[in-house]
Amino acid sequence: MALLFKDPSKLSAYRDKRFPGTQEDFEHALLTSMTVYIGNMSFYTTEEQVYELFSRAGEIKKIIMGLDKNSKTPCGFCFVLYYSRDDAEDAVKYISGTVLDDRPIRVDFDWGFQEGRQWGRGRSGGQVRDEYRTDYDPDILLNV
Amino acid sequence: WRTILLRIGDKCPEYNGNSDSKEHIETCYGVLRRELEHYPFLLQCAEQLPHKIPLYGTVVGLLNLENEEFVKKVVENCQNNLQGALNCNRIRILMRFLTVMMCSKVIQPGPLVVVFETLLSSAATTVDEEKGNPSWQACADFYITCILSCLPWGGAELVEQVPEEIERVMVGVEAYLSIRFEDDDKDFLEDLWGRIQVLSSNGWKLDSVPRPHLSFEAQLVAGKSHPLSCPELPCGKQKHDAELKYPQRIRRLNIFPANKIELQPIDRFIAEEYLLDVLFFFNGCRKECASYMVGLPVPFRYEYLMAETIFSQLLLLPQPPFKPMYYTLVIIDLCKALPGAFPAVVAGAVRALFEKIADLDMECRTRLILWFSHHLSNFQFIWPWEEWAYVLDLPKWAPQRVFVQEVLEREVRLSYWDKVKQSIENAPTLEELLPPKGGPSFKYEDGKELSMELSSMVKGRQVSREVISWIEESVIPVHGALSVVVQTLLDIGSKSFTHLITVLERYGQVIAKLCHDQDKQVVLIDEVSSYWKNSAQMTAIAIDRMMGYRLISNFAIVKWVFSSENIEQFHTSDHPWEILRNAVSKTYNRISDLRKEISSLKKSLALAETRKAELEAAESKLTLVDGEPVLGENPGRLKRLKSYAEKAKEEEVSVRDSLEAKEALLARALDENEALFLSLYKNFSNVLMERLPDTSMDVDNENSQTNGYNVGEKEQWCLSILGYVKAFSRQYASEIWLHIEKLDAEVLHPLFRKA
Repeated sequence: MALLFKDPSKLSAYRDKRFPGTQEDFEHALLTSMTVYIGNMSFYTTEEQVYELFSRAGEIKKIIMGLDKNSKTPCGFCFVLYYSRDDAEDAVKYISGTVLDDRPIRVDFDWGFQEGRQWGRGRSGGQVRDEYRTDYDPDILLNV
Repeated sequence: WRTILLRIGDKCPEYNGNSDSKEHIETCYGVLRRELEHYPFLLQCAEQLPHKIPLYGTVVGLLNLENEEFVKKVVENCQNNLQGALNCNRIRILMRFLTVMMCSKVIQPGPLVVVFETLLSSAATTVDEEKGNPSWQACADFYITCILSCLPWGGAELVEQVPEEIERVMVGVEAYLSIRFEDDDKDFLEDLWGRIQVLSSNGWKLDSVPRPHLSFEAQLVAGKSHPLSCPELPCGKQKHDAELKYPQRIRRLNIFPANKIELQPIDRFIAEEYLLDVLFFFNGCRKECASYMVGLPVPFRYEYLMAETIFSQLLLLPQPPFKPMYYTLVIIDLCKALPGAFPAVVAGAVRALFEKIADLDMECRTRLILWFSHHLSNFQFIWPWEEWAYVLDLPKWAPQRVFVQEVLEREVRLSYWDKVKQSIENAPTLEELLPPKGGPSFKYEDGKELSMELSSMVKGRQVSREVISWIEESVIPVHGALSVVVQTLLDIGSKSFTHLITVLERYGQVIAKLCHDQDKQVVLIDEVSSYWKNSAQMTAIAIDRMMGYRLISNFAIVKWVFSSENIEQFHTSDHPWEILRNAVSKTYNRISDLRKEISSLKKSLALAETRKAELEAAESKLTLVDGEPVLGENPGRLKRLKSYAEKAKEEEVSVRDSLEAKEALLARALDENEALFLSLYKNFSNVLMERLPDTSMDVDNENSQTNGYNVGEKEQWCLSILGYVKAFSRQYASEIWLHIEKLDAEVLHPLFRKA
């Protein structure tokens, strides 16, 4: 609809380096994917909270929490798989930039979950972004 | 040039930050006259930014003075689009553009009126009993709406230049209104007609439509006007297919008292058009959507109107044009864009709706609950709950009390119990309405032997088969086995959603073996409900997933929902309804997914046929190679076509197999659906039959106890149920009509048929 101002098929500038394939393949994967990536979550956000919010965009097939590679605890991201592409699109359109568990989250298309992608790739075991993350949950610092 | 066109009328750098429309038009005109090949884009802008049409129209008028050919193309293009437009929005907006171009002297008023007359006569024929078909009234109404919608943009000019012709049209419209069938008191068309009449009696003066062409009138008059021929209107079958595409645009919600929205009636209509068009065309573009919503070209304030319009969409029945989440997002964005004004208006709307919640349709109440909890979660759950603390004095079944209860429930799901408790600290008594705090309720907590044995088998990663044999070998009465096994498995999977589905995936077969018949499945659901009695969310999720893994049938769910315990809660809680909604929705989604898959498989087959045909055509074609006729297309193309055709053929077999399988699945799903609705209506009918006769007598007796809410418990119970019958019937109407004969024969009570 709003073709004048934004190309809805224009995808995020993020390019996953571990994607096996060409740029074209990557874009095709994103354009057909039914998986969304959710970032900037609180480390304490539960699957049930994710379920309640994201099921308002459509029926959820699966939720995969992103985990710190070392401590195996949630580290601020997750994947949600839908049964339908339309639902995934709605999730990106309507939920990205809004609040979940008191934090504004980011929702993007993901090229497709594979085993192994649930582990944070940052050096400390969390997400790469966390090296730059400045707005930690208050009590996280107590545990560090 | 693109941006100049897009941004005309906006306060932006391209126009040096000012917003004088005369200057904008001149600038735009200056740029465009050098880049005339871009007229398709101009038309696109006009179509998707309809509130800017007066500006575009004037620009076109000025261009007409310089380059008639160009403008001729614009008019032709517009006309072609109109002709091909099967889409209501397009027709309405293009006609508005034509009207504005008439104001800028690009087309003559006469031909425009002819278009109106054609629409009018088509509408009249439709509704005429002999030639037309009354069920096509939606289409006819739409044509009339189109005509009336154009008048604010050009009424004054038309009356001035072609008074007799336009008078004929008005008389025609009045005649149409008298012969058509009226919907109800809030008939949209009658209402619009009323507003137009008021406008007409005001000399066609109105605030909400800018008239920039007036500043250029002297120049525009010199322009040559271009011909406009009338589009052909669809008839017969086309009309019937088109019928479905004429949904009612707005069902006005009067949330605020009339004095908050003091506008000329026509201005209200136009502002609504503007808002609805922005909502439609800017879905997916948050920033522009919000900025255009707040920056409409009208001289009056319209925050209240904006709120009413958005809520009217959110609560539109049967379905809003977009998912309810969209409107949640828009409201959030507008609260941020207008922090001084809009949040207060939204709060006012919530209070007003809360006041009248007992009159609201059940589905609207649910939408409101979901919207409000989501909205508050974006604003730290801040709300003056103390204003509503009085609901505790109302009976448990009072709709206002139930509303507060369910909003709090959803808030807890979106955050967590302690947080929500903290958010109601100004009304601590409301804590009573919060859901239970605790977690699972494991019956076999203190480790009944069998439960522990099962647990260790699971931890030891034993497979289903082994577990099943173990169950069969151990001497347990089957009933007992079910409870132990289910509760233990639920307990193992209790940590999270993923834990639950992992357990179901690995040990689903065990459950399936134990619960092979419907009665056992109902017992299963009982166990689930007991284990998760402190969490409505987990109960609903567990039941939903079990249905997904086909461990329980939707039938069993319906049976359980209508069991005596749950029936008692029908009017005091949303929980049984949530589970019922999920079951019906999942059944429907299965069907819908299958239909999509079948459709795309059929497309693949069709594509295979096309490829084959292309190849054959190419092979038998005669081409010239070095002057000599040769059979077959050029070798390069031939090779390519051959490879497409071969590939398609290879896949064809597997596609056909898939298609067959899917069609079989669809048939099964449709049967399940029919059975589901039969069961649903039967159950509704049974419970109502039991209680309806007693109810009318009780109303007077209950009065003394209930302060503030006078409806007795039994009556409320019936009202709630009837409300849900209506909601379900309406939501799944198209599916239900498919099975209507059978339903009619077996279960439909006159009350239901009315719904």
